[in-house]
Amino acid sequence: MSGPDPDFYLPEAEGPLVLKTKARSVNNSLNPMRAEHNYKHWFWGIAIPLVLTLIDWPFRDILTASNILMFYLLGVFFVAIRFGFWPSILASLTNAAAFAYFFAPPIFSLAIAEPENLAGLAVTMLVGAVTSKLAENVRHQARVAEQGERRASVLYRLGKELAEARLETEIIEIGVRHLHAEFGGRNTFLFPDHNGQVDYPDEPPLDISLQGADLEVARWVFQHGQMAGNGTEIFSDEAAVYMPLNGSTGTIGVLVLEAVNLRQLFSPEQRQLLDTFVNQTIHTLERASLAEQAKEATLKMQAETLRNSLLSSISHDLRTPLATIIGAASTLETDDHLNEDTKRKLAGAINEEAQRMSELTTKILEMARLEAGEVVLNRQWYSPEEIVGSALRRLDKKLKTRQLNVNMADGLSLIQVDAVLLQQVLVNLLDNAAKYSPGGRPIDIAVETTPFGLSITVADNGPGVPEALQQKIFDKFFRIHPESAQSGVGLGLSICRAIVEAHGGDIQVTNRRGGGAVFQLHLPFLECPPTIAPEENEQMP
Amino acid sequence: MKALSPLLLLIEDDPQFRLLLATTLENQDYRVLALETGKEGLIAARSQQPDLLLLDLGLPDIDGQEIIRRLRKWSELPIIVVSARNRETDITQALDNGADDYLTKPFSNAELMSRIKALLRRVVKHPGGVQEVFQAGELKIELTKRRVFVSDQEVHLTPIEFRLLSELVRNAGFVVTHRQLLEKVWGASYVEHSHYLRIYMGQLRHKIESDPARPRYLLTEAGIGYRLYEEENV
Repeated sequence: MSGPDPDFYLPEAEGPLVLKTKARSVNNSLNPMRAEHNYKHWFWGIAIPLVLTLIDWPFRDILTASNILMFYLLGVFFVAIRFGFWPSILASLTNAAAFAYFFAPPIFSLAIAEPENLAGLAVTMLVGAVTSKLAENVRHQARVAEQGERRASVLYRLGKELAEARLETEIIEIGVRHLHAEFGGRNTFLFPDHNGQVDYPDEPPLDISLQGADLEVARWVFQHGQMAGNGTEIFSDEAAVYMPLNGSTGTIGVLVLEAVNLRQLFSPEQRQLLDTFVNQTIHTLERASLAEQAKEATLKMQAETLRNSLLSSISHDLRTPLATIIGAASTLETDDHLNEDTKRKLAGAINEEAQRMSELTTKILEMARLEAGEVVLNRQWYSPEEIVGSALRRLDKKLKTRQLNVNMADGLSLIQVDAVLLQQVLVNLLDNAAKYSPGGRPIDIAVETTPFGLSITVADNGPGVPEALQQKIFDKFFRIHPESAQSGVGLGLSICRAIVEAHGGDIQVTNRRGGGAVFQLHLPFLECPPTIAPEENEQMP
Repeated sequence: MKALSPLLLLIEDDPQFRLLLATTLENQDYRVLALETGKEGLIAARSQQPDLLLLDLGLPDIDGQEIIRRLRKWSELPIIVVSARNRETDITQALDNGADDYLTKPFSNAELMSRIKALLRRVVKHPGGVQEVFQAGELKIELTKRRVFVSDQEVHLTPIEFRLLSELVRNAGFVVTHRQLLEKVWGASYVEHSHYLRIYMGQLRHKIESDPARPRYLLTEAGIGYRLYEEENV
């Protein structure tokens, strides 16, 4: 499949395959000879010497013969550079005739009397021919460079787009689009379905996609890994060319290409370009599928770990209250000799433990919902003050005896957040602060806006978080003292982190001087806060 | 003789929970009609003329939201939604459809009783409209005179602030959704402009609350709406 060296440029392009007569007759736009066949170029090969003759004629008495020959030589250079080698040879010949006729004595005769002039003319023609050949080479080199550059830029654009693509459909769409732009005609990529049979794609085709490719041919190509269709010896009456897509693990699909210009398509440089296009697309596809596989594997592993820790956590945290509830409820149901006080105590225990279970269940469900990516942020403009206020109200009972220092910066702007989720973050942080710091110590809340977003700090006066655990503390089911009675299920801070990160923000914990954990979360602004039209009548009448 | 106690219609498909609620409510001297399906419930709502409806959203035959919509076409029957659906969207939708209050499972009996009492009280107290003077704690609002006092000090409000406040007074003790407030105060074309509501609510709190960060009167129901605090034993 590999083509010739990259810097080749063959004037006579010949495809490696049997080409149909129809394709053969098509002109090759890349053939450099084509330009010289243009009759206009021949015209200039005659016209320029004649114009020079007209210009020189009035000065024939002043100018020497060698001067005039120099002028002619200049004309030859010009024709060579502008119009190519053969027109310049024609110009040389015309020069010779014009010089002999008009300037070399005897004038008005093609004869040349002086041997000096004859020698001059001969040298001039020789120099003309040599420099024309050199100019021709320069032209040729320039065109090779131009072609190379065009190919490079085409490939660069393809590569750039492919590098940004992530999804398989995106990659295929890019491939189809670039092939269409570069080679004209319609094309399509066909891949095997889950049964391993090459089939039409499920996605709706693009406008430029080739439709109605012959699946029989495509399947043959996929099976044999060999090219077929138009321009080849197999299935040669097909309108399109069917090319196998060879990936690192074998043929992964089939490219069906209905070229506008088959001869051009099969020229070595175009074939090489096509192969590069196709290979790049295949590699990107393979890369995307590998990345997908790796992601799936990681997710699977994470899910496994989560399930294990969830199970062990649930067994402890849900079974303990359940034991109390079932025990107390069955006693109430079966024992007729309980006094009122005992009954009330048992009912109270059921209530309390059920509350605990309810809290845990809510947290586990919340985390599962966040994990599953099911939560779509309902971002609206909210004032930070309101969110803090509603979080504090939810914890009214727990914080009743606490001293709370709420420090709201002046002129806080609205921020676009999911208020329910952000309130949950604050509730979890405040709940932790109340749980893990001694009763009499105050909790400090500070809210301020920075140039980049909103910053909320919740600081307690408890023992703080050991430095080594400041990262781990946000992990699911992580607890500093796993078996202590105070501990929850170890999800509160994981929920906080998941919510804050879903908002594009971050959360971290540090210890403050004198002890106490400081949780700081930062939420970035996404848009400028909206403004509202002021009321016309500011005061009530 | 004592008047007939209020009749509560309960539509709940879970038999255990239905039994529990019915027993609890009967113990509180309410008459209870406990039904399993939405269809039965809608028929009973017409034929039995209950005083209040306790409605579960996840019913086997008709969705609770649909029941609220159908009822609201012809009835002002007070509705409390009692549901395990705890997402704000479900709650907001139920309230926007015309439910008066909601409780998410699990909830305590005391909570349920206080909601039922408050709703029945509202119906009895102001059958036709709204009271002229609203008072809760230090806050006093005279609706027709359009005057607001905090600790006997008059507070000056802008017309919009006052409209917002009086809308909450009209539903004192109950949640008014963001949508309802935007529609009533600013007009139907403003229902998506929630920032108007936030800004004016902030202004109102700064004028009325002693600590706007821990409001006492203008309470936030996150993601749903606002509620004006009402004293229980007025």
